[in-house]
Amino acid sequence: MTAGDDQLRWESGQAVFRMPAEIDVTNANHLRAALRAAVRQATSVLIIDMSATTFCDSAGVQAIVDAYNQVEARNQNAVAPTQLRLVATVVRRIITLVGIDQLIPVYPTLEAALADSG
Amino acid sequence: MQVESAKAAAPGSRAALEDRLRDIQAIADAALSRLDDQKLLTELLERTRAVLHADTAAVLLLDYTSGHLTAVAAAGLEEEVRQGVRIPVGRGFAGRIAAEHRPVILDRVDHSTVLNPILLTKGIHALMGVPLIARGRVIGVLHVGSLAQRQFTSEDVELLEMAASRAATALASLMAQEDRVAAEALQRSLLPGLLPAAVSADLAVRYVPGAGKVGGDWYDVFGVSSGHMWVVIGDVTGSGLAAAVIMGRMRSALRAYALEHDDPAEVLARLDRKMQHFEPGALATVLCAVFDPGLDRVRMCSAGHLPPIIASPGCAAEVAEIPAGLLIGAARAARRETVTLQITPGSVLCFYTDGLIERRGQLIDDGIARLCRVVRAEPPEAACAAVMAALVGGEPVPDDIALLMLQCHPSALQP
Repeated sequence: MTAGDDQLRWESGQAVFRMPAEIDVTNANHLRAALRAAVRQATSVLIIDMSATTFCDSAGVQAIVDAYNQVEARNQNAVAPTQLRLVATVVRRIITLVGIDQLIPVYPTLEAALADSG
Repeated sequence: MQVESAKAAAPGSRAALEDRLRDIQAIADAALSRLDDQKLLTELLERTRAVLHADTAAVLLLDYTSGHLTAVAAAGLEEEVRQGVRIPVGRGFAGRIAAEHRPVILDRVDHSTVLNPILLTKGIHALMGVPLIARGRVIGVLHVGSLAQRQFTSEDVELLEMAASRAATALASLMAQEDRVAAEALQRSLLPGLLPAAVSADLAVRYVPGAGKVGGDWYDVFGVSSGHMWVVIGDVTGSGLAAAVIMGRMRSALRAYALEHDDPAEVLARLDRKMQHFEPGALATVLCAVFDPGLDRVRMCSAGHLPPIIASPGCAAEVAEIPAGLLIGAARAARRETVTLQITPGSVLCFYTDGLIERRGQLIDDGIARLCRVVRAEPPEAACAAVMAALVGGEPVPDDIALLMLQCHPSALQP
């Protein structure tokens, strides 16, 4: 499974990375690598879609923070910066608890994340 | 150049096949499994050296943090272990094997092919090495050497790979045991169960390693010269020795900053900068609570940590309202905010890590609500026991749990 296969897709020109149902130490390393690949491929927007995610522990948080830092590093030298967005429903509480919503805008649905023109 | 080896049997002959079978049996011998990991490694090296008619055999362990290979066991090459030879991944003979994840054969051993001076001074003329792989990751290198000129064959490589697979299992288990013992010792040494002298409060604590493995959870209680008492609880992402080591560093740094600054937001901001500089990539949630000398007021700041539960006498317990600050290590210049809460005498404050309330298939808020229903203004030992019974019971916990219960006494109000 790589970001090129089933996790990363394109919707109206925006990259959407679908996160699995459960994220923990068993799949977080793989996910981090796949997210990094997604960051490299993304253009104007990368949406991390956690709408199907029901469990995310600190290893998952680490993978998301890593993606944020990858985007930040890339944007430093980029003419056109990439915007990172996050969709979270069930795991929204953990995302806000650790303050990730202060780094990445969080949306309740994928539609809302896609529709945001900012 | 095909050099005549000690194996005299003609290739393909019945005798050669029997030799080969005996060699395989020497490596695959089930009796080896009855040895402990260290003895198994030593015996395996001896047998590997014998079946391959080699003069030396060595196992090197890969340290991912430093990117170096270090010799941990050897036969005929004991000085390599005793002198603590370190080979950078990607360089030299062993370094190349670790970097390329594949066998390497050298029939010319000199400064251009080998980095380790011991191999050169020993007079080794041919080398063959394979990676040690455990759970898909290279964890080290196994190599054999010959003092005579010789060409190792693909059959030799196959035998060495068989030995490597057994060595990798033993080595992985050995490392896991050593890490576990070290991490447990570190955890124990860093978890105090004592209040500073002259504080009119009672304290009770619990620490339970998750799934038999310690992690990066910690708590700390200490007084500073101004008379303030600090209560800290935190959780470093990850588990095992690596997390426990980072936890120890964070705890020390936080104590040092608390001697200089009274504001928990300021202390957490400094801790964040320190972590991002010295431990890039590490993440942790931390909550600091600074109690006034009279224990009637507490100032708190959270870096992504779960909010404490406060139970005042005669009232239902409540979740302390603290702004969720960004966790430590995530990004530069996070906004940190300290909030002040009044404490009714006799109140119990409950600090905890996510292992206590997080369960698969349950919402965090449901876990916090369950905790709230159990915490009461009662002596901390009783409160801890009640919480552990209700939220853990007899279940094995997947993640480690740290729990700290503090009761502020009414007498604290009296000057």
